[in-house]
Amino acid sequence: MRVAFPHMGNAYIPLRALVEHVGVEAVVPERPNRATLELGAKHAPEFVCLPFKITLGDCMNALEKGADTMAMVCGMWACRFGNYGHVQHLILRDMGYEFESLLIGREDPRAVWEKVKRAVGGGAFRRLLGAAAVFRAKAAAVEEIESKARFARPREERRGDTDRIMERYLTRVDEADTIRRVREIRRELREEFSALPLRDDDDVLRVRIVGELYVLLEPSLNFDLVRRLGAVHGVEAQPILSTYRWLLSPLWLDPFLHVSSSRARRVSRAYLPYVLGGEEHMTITGALDAPRQGFDGVIHAYPLTCMPENICRTVLPHISVTRDVPILGLCFDEHTSTVGTNTRLEAFLDMLRSRRGRGRNAKELEAEGVLRA
Amino acid sequence: MRSLRIRRVRKGMSLKHAQGSKAAMRVGVPRALMFYRYYPFLKMLLEGFGCEVVASPPTNLRIMGMGTDLCVDDICVAVKALFGHVRHLEGEVDAVLVPRLVSVEKKDYDTFTCPKLIAAPDMVRFSFPHLPPPLEFVVDVKKAPFWWGCLRLGRRLGVSLRGIARSYAAATREQRRFEDLQREGLLPEDALKRMENGNDGPPPAYASAERDVTVAVVGHPYLLGDPLVSKRLIHWLDSSGARVLASTMLSRRDLEREARKLPDLSWSYEWELLAAASHFMEADGVDGVIYLTSFGCGPDSLVTEMVRREVPNPHGRALLDLVLDEHSAESGVRTRAEAFVDLLRHRKRARSREVEKR
Ligand code: SF4
Ligand code: SF4
Repeated sequence: MRVAFPHMGNAYIPLRALVEHVGVEAVVPERPNRATLELGAKHAPEFVCLPFKITLGDCMNALEKGADTMAMVCGMWACRFGNYGHVQHLILRDMGYEFESLLIGREDPRAVWEKVKRAVGGGAFRRLLGAAAVFRAKAAAVEEIESKARFARPREERRGDTDRIMERYLTRVDEADTIRRVREIRRELREEFSALPLRDDDDVLRVRIVGELYVLLEPSLNFDLVRRLGAVHGVEAQPILSTYRWLLSPLWLDPFLHVSSSRARRVSRAYLPYVLGGEEHMTITGALDAPRQGFDGVIHAYPLTCMPENICRTVLPHISVTRDVPILGLCFDEHTSTVGTNTRLEAFLDMLRSRRGRGRNAKELEAEGVLRA
Repeated sequence: MRSLRIRRVRKGMSLKHAQGSKAAMRVGVPRALMFYRYYPFLKMLLEGFGCEVVASPPTNLRIMGMGTDLCVDDICVAVKALFGHVRHLEGEVDAVLVPRLVSVEKKDYDTFTCPKLIAAPDMVRFSFPHLPPPLEFVVDVKKAPFWWGCLRLGRRLGVSLRGIARSYAAATREQRRFEDLQREGLLPEDALKRMENGNDGPPPAYASAERDVTVAVVGHPYLLGDPLVSKRLIHWLDSSGARVLASTMLSRRDLEREARKLPDLSWSYEWELLAAASHFMEADGVDGVIYLTSFGCGPDSLVTEMVRREVPNPHGRALLDLVLDEHSAESGVRTRAEAFVDLLRHRKRARSREVEKR
């Protein structure tokens, strides 16, 4: 059994660990890029959402690399994501690929487990427990690397330092094979980051990025938004979702995640009282909380025709006015150009800078002082 | 946590009732989305609650234009039409009613309608700041029975329990009549007209079994029932001499029969379309199927693939995907509809000639 799963940001690191520690070979296709997207878009239905297209391209890459089992998370949700796996596998089979489907969440969990057991033989359950522990450790490590880099990037003295460290450590975490090793790497990482020379200025703009999960986390879809904002524009960008959050929240391994998402549901209820099956609650909450958390503005990133985010778009202008927070909507699809996105981004950042220049009122400063303390 | 505004409006409304003001509340029902499924029910219910019901006129270019201007650009045509209708009603009515359909059936897995139908009242609430928030009418069968939504609506309008029960019963009867008319082969539009006029008249020409080819149209009722949105597809099929069947004419039982052949789907309405497509692929006397979708429709983008790849097609029937948007001209749909009917006629003739030869 050679299992493959689509990419999403750095999720492949913990996922690969999970699969390999259970004792199954993992096939990880190369990181997706615009070509992957175009490949997927060619075979996908025309107005399906962007994540479908790029993951379809990803699956094709994986199958070309010799995968024989395709894993995908599925479910019975209001949004399209729950049906991705099913439809993608229909398309892939019609294209002539042969493989086995592992639709996690759609098939009976026992059936999935039987398939795995058949592949690895004895001691599968014990191995699964071990694998889950490594998975969690790696997910946490990736999260730490990413968050440290997000903070350091706009403040680094020498351009590119942060990215170099980040790349190196991501590779090391990917290669590490025990939890102890991951822990060591994290310790070294912290040392390295604290030794990194940073500019000590408070002028760095901070923006919150909200929106659809996949567009937020997959650099090839959002033109590397987070990194570019940090390195090129000197802006600290904090996406409201993270790989860690997405991977771990369904597993109940981290109670904090659970508390924060149920708070998000509660807070967003005044705007969207019913679950829509996407990240609408995080989008709304992120925008509502942004001023209080010391963000200068919010960037709302979503794929073309995305349902929950399009619904959010009718609500966000209201929040922008009542909470006095600027919101920029960025729509992504396979035809979006870097140039257009860049122009709008620059105009938005200029606006944020001039807002800052105008001085904030005492209340805002106080709120921030509290936060910093 | 409800916003202050909502509470104030609520208070205002109950005040009006407390004072026993004579003027009935004027409630607008936009002719879009679930209008085509539930209007007779809603009308009867609201009238029973002592409201005056104002339906917006059939979609016209002005309404569609207003909707397109008000909406974000990549949302489906159906929602754009809804916005246009609400804008049309704004100023004419005291409140609008936009049903919130969360789930409409109970199955052994979770079911939903479509995110946009779930959040339609919210979208309207935030896009029309001058309009009082839409009246809440929630259908969430997974959590509470259908009548629960009617009860809540009635209580909110200050109707007694007995009054609610009576209107509910009358509304259900009305809805059954509406559905029966559709089962008899009428499109939602014509069924509504017939209910309003009360006369029986001759059946419309498109339903005639005499015609030589039969086309089945599968699509949401608010697409195929709205001539402007569907670019008069039914009319073009009718005028090229085809008999028209539609997914709205099938009964629940017809659909359930197909369940075995189809994958599970969390969207109830899309599942109905899938089942309808599967039914028409096999049913006697159908020559071709048109699958009607709206540009930017979320669920349909995936379900189209399922219809194409997964629905069994034992007789090799022709399938036409027709994507509707608000920009393209009527002539496009017309040409494709006419060409499709011609193709079916041609095939049918060729086949009967073959049979004769043998
Ligand atoms: S959230 Fe948006 S992008 Fe994701 S599956 Fe739903 S519609 Fe597609
Ligand atoms: S099902 Fe499709 S057409 Fe209907 S509201 Fe949802 S997205 Fe729009």
